[in-house]
Amino acid sequence: LRGAPGAAGSWGRPVGPLARRGCCSAPGTPEVPLTRERYPVRRLPFSTVSKQDLAAFERIVPGGVVTDPEALQAPNVDWLRTLRGCSKVLLRPRTSEEVSHILRHCHERNLAVNPQGGNTGMVGGSVPVFDEIILSTARMNRVLSFHSVSGILVCQAGCVLEELSRYVEERDFIMPLDLGAKGSCHIGGNVATNAGGLRFLRYGSLHGTVLGLEVVLADGTVLDCLTSLRKDNTGYDLKQLFIGSEGTLGIITTVSILCPPKPRAVNVAFLGCPGFAEVLQTFSTCKGMLGEILSAFEFMDAVCMQLVGRHLHLASPVQESPFYVLIETSGSNAGHDAEKLGHFLEHALGSGLVTDGTMATDQRKVKMLWALRERITEALSRDGYVYKYDLSLPVERLYDIVTDLRARLGPHAKHVVGYGHLGDGNLHLNVTAEAFSPSLLAALEPHVYEWTAGQQGSVSAEHGVGFRKRDVLGYSKPPGALQLMQQLKALLDPKGILNPYKTLPSQA
Amino acid sequence: MGNGTEEDYNFVFKVVLIGESGVGKTNLLSRFTRNEFSHDSRTTIGVEFSTRTVMLGTAAVKAQIWDTAGLERYRAITSAYYRGAVGALLVFDLTKHQTYAVVERWLKELYDHAEATIVVMLVGNKSDLSQAREVPTEEARMFAENNGLLFLETSALDSTNVELAFETVLKEIFAKVSKQRQNSIRTNAITLGSAQAGQEPGPGEKRACC
Repeated sequence: LRGAPGAAGSWGRPVGPLARRGCCSAPGTPEVPLTRERYPVRRLPFSTVSKQDLAAFERIVPGGVVTDPEALQAPNVDWLRTLRGCSKVLLRPRTSEEVSHILRHCHERNLAVNPQGGNTGMVGGSVPVFDEIILSTARMNRVLSFHSVSGILVCQAGCVLEELSRYVEERDFIMPLDLGAKGSCHIGGNVATNAGGLRFLRYGSLHGTVLGLEVVLADGTVLDCLTSLRKDNTGYDLKQLFIGSEGTLGIITTVSILCPPKPRAVNVAFLGCPGFAEVLQTFSTCKGMLGEILSAFEFMDAVCMQLVGRHLHLASPVQESPFYVLIETSGSNAGHDAEKLGHFLEHALGSGLVTDGTMATDQRKVKMLWALRERITEALSRDGYVYKYDLSLPVERLYDIVTDLRARLGPHAKHVVGYGHLGDGNLHLNVTAEAFSPSLLAALEPHVYEWTAGQQGSVSAEHGVGFRKRDVLGYSKPPGALQLMQQLKALLDPKGILNPYKTLPSQA
Repeated sequence: MGNGTEEDYNFVFKVVLIGESGVGKTNLLSRFTRNEFSHDSRTTIGVEFSTRTVMLGTAAVKAQIWDTAGLERYRAITSAYYRGAVGALLVFDLTKHQTYAVVERWLKELYDHAEATIVVMLVGNKSDLSQAREVPTEEARMFAENNGLLFLETSALDSTNVELAFETVLKEIFAKVSKQRQNSIRTNAITLGSAQAGQEPGPGEKRACC
């Protein structure tokens, strides 16, 4: 399964934050190619870090200045191991005030800054392109308050999502989002990228569940929009600008977020469907019969299941089917919910929408079923080089591009797979190959983007734009919108030091 | 088997598989619905279900088979699992007497949650392991007769009696459903007759109707 030397991401080796650290230090592991060498990108005229700068940073964050090249290897490489920056400095502030002082200094000195949380992004938004200073939120991990009547959590940006989940679950609440990367990702990064994840269907976007933000602007100004009010109709809702801005407008330092009560009963069913038309019908039926308790509806195709089986040895609990569906219900009464789910399953089986299935009845088995869905990305990484597309499409057309690409790419692609959040109209289209191939990339792009635009879709449903997708924004945003985005960037970050080379198209 | 095309069928019958963990319920299910047997003794995750359409005479019957782990009582799902079931296969492993000893308890749970009219077949599985038999055929047959159950011994491994077991249960269900339909027609006739009798107060005529 090994690709040619120098090919990034095509090694049959575990990929992920922890595995990445191990890989980087293992002798013989090939280095990820430098981003600046692989992409046609030119360094903007930022200053370089001087000894005086380092001394200033040491005064601002004593003990929090990292310059050891060994320690900087991992933060310079993205989660997918396809991008690598050349940063020589990583800063680890503990407080918003320290972030403020760092940015004030960088603004004065015209030093570029790359904010970084858990570094689990898919589009290279959290790793430097050149020698940007990495500003890590890892030490900003305190929960500031939690109110058990309203369920409002206020915490620093560097809190790891899984730890927040644990914290609020002890108090009978849950986080409104859940991600496969929850063991590593930070809440600040989730908000900066407007992460979607597996609870979007039930709890909606972070635009709704985030109640307030504290943000440090490019010149070091601390913008305190850290309200805990659910309704506040006084002027512009400024926090919305920063949600999904990927650190280009300001650095999120504190988050106020609304947590729903923890469901007392969770059921998960895993079903085999004979075709995508049946997947769609199953979803409609599911919404009709389980609407008030439906908390997730995920689909995946047969190849996803094969890869999860081959690379991770997770056995499919149902017979081979063209498509699989994972349905989760969350409610307050186990008996009632099981009754509804059982009734739905009888109907789905009886009408031929579903051919085979299983229903988990305890937490350990719920996790087993979810692993089949959550670990698809991991399995793909072990299959070779992965081209990833995270698309929003009308649900009726969601799978068409997968069949289109299989025909288009033929044997040049190892696998073309589709999976995702049907309820959100979100397709994760992935193409694997033995190694990175410019000709394969040329066959994929801009075809995938043109196809998506033709369906009035979005070229990024939830992964964001980052570095990797910045020049395809035009397929999903009209020129007027792009222009206004540029103007907002110029207004809030006139020197362009905040996460340069990201989010906005490169002609800026 | 669902093969993507819209199937035509006249009846959908829900049949549940119950019995101790490890007696082979899931392999009975997979043998019947897709003619597969797995030697991996993977315990059923929680509840599994599959369908197969069979012809009973001129009627197409879709069997909706539900299979449970058989482990500790899942209080949250038992009523949902059994609700609507018109048939049950109560499975024990004839090479493990313990799985037969608890049959009575399973039967009680079944009658606590399912309709009293449910068709039940006692199934002694793993008949291919006759040299390791611990439950005499005659003993199990007697238990079944005494409790009004159908009875068969099967082997999911070599397919012995699997098809027959499910088909027998489905036929019995079909017969009951058909009889209920006829009773329904007769009830209508009786009602009509009563109405007519009301119009003719002759005592002799009324007695004849009753």
